[in-house]
Amino acid sequence: MRRTNKRKDSMETKKTKFAALTSVLAITALVVTACSGSSVTSSPSVATNPSAVTSSSIATATPTPINGAGQTLTVLIGADGKYGAQQQQWFKDVSAAFQTQTGATVNFQTFASGSEELTKIQTSVVANQGPDIYVVGTTFTPTAYSTGAFVSLTPDDWNKVGGKDKFVPADLGISGPTDSDQVGIPYTSGPFVMAYNTDLLAKAGIDKPATTWDGLAAQAKQLTGNGVYGMAVGYKDGFDPWKFIWAMSRQAGNPIISGKVAKVDDPTTLKAYQTYFGWLTTDHVVDPASVGWNDGQALAAFASGKAAFFPMSTTSNIPTLKTSAVKDTYKFALMPVVPPGATALPAGGAGATSILAGNNVVVAKYSKNQDLAFALVKYLTDDANQQVLFNTFGTMPVNQTTFTAVTTSNPALGPILDSAASSVATPFSGAWADTQLALMNVVVQTIPDLSSGSVSTSKLQSLLTAAQKTAQASLDKAP
Amino acid sequence: MTETTTERSYRAPTRRRGSRQAEVTRLLPNGILVVVLVVVCAFIAIPLIYVVLSSLNSDLGVARGEIIPSSWSLQNYADIWTTIGLGKGIANSLIVAGSAGVVSAAVALATAYVFVRFRFFGRVTIMRGLLVVQSVPGTLMVLPVFVVFASAGSYLGITVIGTLWGLFLTYLTFTLPFSTWVMVTYLRGLPKELEEAARIDGASNLMILLKIVLPLSWPGVMVSAIFAFLLGWNDVIFASVMTNSDTQTAAIALQVFGSTQQNGTLPLYGQMMAASLVCAAPVIALFLIFQRYLVSGLTSGAVKG
Amino acid sequence: MIPGGALMIFVIVVPILLGLYMSVLTLDQYTLRQWLSAPFAGPGNYIEAVTDSPLLKSFWISLSFAVLSTAAAVPLGIAAALATQNYFPGRAVMRSVFLIPFVMPSFVVATVWRTMFQPDGVIVNGLHSVGITSGLWLNGPNSYWTLVFVEVWASWPFIYLLALAGLQSVDHDVHEASALDGASWWPKLRYVIFPYLKGPVALACVIATLNHINNFALPFVLFGIPAPDDVQTLPILTYSTTFESFRFGLGAAMAFSSLMLLAIPLIIYVRAVKLDVDEGADK
Repeated sequence: MRRTNKRKDSMETKKTKFAALTSVLAITALVVTACSGSSVTSSPSVATNPSAVTSSSIATATPTPINGAGQTLTVLIGADGKYGAQQQQWFKDVSAAFQTQTGATVNFQTFASGSEELTKIQTSVVANQGPDIYVVGTTFTPTAYSTGAFVSLTPDDWNKVGGKDKFVPADLGISGPTDSDQVGIPYTSGPFVMAYNTDLLAKAGIDKPATTWDGLAAQAKQLTGNGVYGMAVGYKDGFDPWKFIWAMSRQAGNPIISGKVAKVDDPTTLKAYQTYFGWLTTDHVVDPASVGWNDGQALAAFASGKAAFFPMSTTSNIPTLKTSAVKDTYKFALMPVVPPGATALPAGGAGATSILAGNNVVVAKYSKNQDLAFALVKYLTDDANQQVLFNTFGTMPVNQTTFTAVTTSNPALGPILDSAASSVATPFSGAWADTQLALMNVVVQTIPDLSSGSVSTSKLQSLLTAAQKTAQASLDKAP
Repeated sequence: MTETTTERSYRAPTRRRGSRQAEVTRLLPNGILVVVLVVVCAFIAIPLIYVVLSSLNSDLGVARGEIIPSSWSLQNYADIWTTIGLGKGIANSLIVAGSAGVVSAAVALATAYVFVRFRFFGRVTIMRGLLVVQSVPGTLMVLPVFVVFASAGSYLGITVIGTLWGLFLTYLTFTLPFSTWVMVTYLRGLPKELEEAARIDGASNLMILLKIVLPLSWPGVMVSAIFAFLLGWNDVIFASVMTNSDTQTAAIALQVFGSTQQNGTLPLYGQMMAASLVCAAPVIALFLIFQRYLVSGLTSGAVKG
Repeated sequence: MIPGGALMIFVIVVPILLGLYMSVLTLDQYTLRQWLSAPFAGPGNYIEAVTDSPLLKSFWISLSFAVLSTAAAVPLGIAAALATQNYFPGRAVMRSVFLIPFVMPSFVVATVWRTMFQPDGVIVNGLHSVGITSGLWLNGPNSYWTLVFVEVWASWPFIYLLALAGLQSVDHDVHEASALDGASWWPKLRYVIFPYLKGPVALACVIATLNHINNFALPFVLFGIPAPDDVQTLPILTYSTTFESFRFGLGAAMAFSSLMLLAIPLIIYVRAVKLDVDEGADK
């Protein structure tokens, strides 16, 4: 018995020791927590100083011949699923070429989706470190500009990338708020066009697609029947629906954002939504299932010969179409430029065939190798690489020389190049991202009504009022 | 205190197939057992069959809503390795998620042992704190975690962002609270007698933990480890900002197939389905190997025999 | 434990404090770069989050969705655990197969189900062929049930795992005793086995519910952004406010407000099921 007691005692001591150790830990935790509270306030020095140092050093010490030996440039660019292997090869080629040219290493980082890119940009901006060069979508450029985290290009900077006049002038339309204040350097162009099935059109006795939205709807009605629909549209797509609304509104003279005023609840926009939804509810020219389709599924319907028109197509659809049932019977044309309800372009309206689509390149202010970055951008936008991009990935060139060469050697791409020339830039506003989301939200919330076959004007009106409020609130926040 | 427990008997025979034994431990009558298995398997299988069929289909076919492919092909299984760095992604995922699983289970075992067997001030508060931490939304944490890691990087001159161990650290902090709770719940169910006997024999805390508690708590340890592993395996938000092309995980690599990019390309459905099956394979294999540890170390004889 | 504690502080506590700081700033795309000197908003973001945003609606959607998903997964998980407890040929394979839904990355699960639930997809056509006309599953009121269903499918193995672990702590003597009593299977489960599962399953419910509430990938991939109003869950709302609309301060305030709202039922539950006290200590 005594032995047992003794052991019990020693057990108790061990327990206490153990417990003491843990409580010390807990206290340490608390203390460190308290300290970290103050570290929050002391960290401005961490976050802001490096950038201050780098920007000043760059301003002062940069001799013109670029020697990038030992330096590394990081480029953030969208991963190309369709041409994965080719993209990897292209990364290697660019790195090798740039290494020979400047001695610097280029490191390509990829993102899979727009939201992933957005998160990456935001975290890098907050932390003041990350990739040197970002390839961003054209419509995202205004938002990138509004963060102030990207280099505003001086005439000297433009010279470093090969001069502003090497670019197709239209592609500079969404580089900055004014001609003298720009952050985005055009990189690739991807204008929207309309694909159509020549066979189906010929059978219906239609010689070419209409140039007005009303005309297109009429043709689509004529083409609908026997299991074929006039149009293939993805109402549930995450990107496309707003582009229809924007194009129709813009053609009717409403740029959606004008100065500090949002015009989402404008009658022209209401009309645009009614037309877009009307294809399903009143014209019956789209597959009722398309309320659940994304763009890819609409493409699939067109590619299997189940639809005559596929508006909102791009050259990136070509690989799919080339191996499909319609490989010999599809063609591209411009989307209509006359707004719904009109027979000619009204005063103030723009003949927008597409949003100004494609990619721009922006260079981060925190980059310690800005000159090197510009040298790489020059390489990427020079004729040689633009040719490679066109040949490998099918993206349209932004370089004027390449553009002319491609135009003359590829007559089939005529409509795409025409659309590139007559694309209209979406408003250059920091509030555009919110506005675009609000335009999309109207479609998303209407889908149940769309599915049941009718969208009431009052419901649409109230959704537009809400969207207007969002867009205007976002505009009001802009400094 | 009559029985002197020897080390040999701490780890009792794990499986007895004697028919009497099986009858005694039986939980469900055969009929119900079969019904449950069939229902559960069907529930799992329906979408899985679709995944398998789609992985043999063309992207266009999947987009068109085909169930049975109109043209069969194994091409997707060949293509996935070149489209993205899937092999590297799987390796990275296994390393990061695997270490997160092992380390969080080990740390949780020790922590939970302290919580269960010792009483000290603030114990319950810390436990609750862990639970609250568990409920912090990931979307809230992305930006701040990145800032902390980035500043730590500039302060200490070490690279955290883009490294596998940076990601491992992140996962660990999300898995530790959970693992600790699991182990606490599990350890509570274990009898104290063996530990006390060992303590009387003069075993240290560490010895007791390793030689007695660990063998008895394998099922709990396995569950903690599996869950921590899967948390890391499935994460997309943190991996997307904390990795670069060399360290990207399988879940990130997979997204390339499914992403609907702004230029309206058709998602690579077939390859995505194929790749997700390929990715699931190593995890299933691991589980097949380790599942025997899910069987109790606690059988008659070890304690009260 | 010391490195563990330090790590927790480094990666959890410090970021939470940073997040808290962000939630009282007017932090948006215009101030993000100089975020430490962003204008102080005081409680403004919190007021906006609670009074002038869909936060409260999202909170109820998330909470009810999470509780329903857990409630549906518990019987499934326990039944599956009971069924694979006793040895039979092929048990190891069966146990692994049960884990497959849990192993598939959320975004793949969501993509698969999205394809199956679409208007002319497998499910709608299947239901139609047996005479049921179903409406939309990915938009409108049904989308909520789609979310619950897919969440249950993807997460029930978690309950299964914890129940399985719980079953291992059932003493062999207990089996012997109930065999001697001649108890048939249901009373044995009800009065002998289930008490052993109470702890693990109660814990599984907490963790599973929290994971459902915080599940971002599933609704994000199933429904996209902007999400239909019926499935605008908390993570979706916070994400879209923070990363799509660039209202970082408001997003952080939303996350903290929901955290506070969540903490109350959480603590009440934990106390009610006595998870945080040693009921077994005196055994």
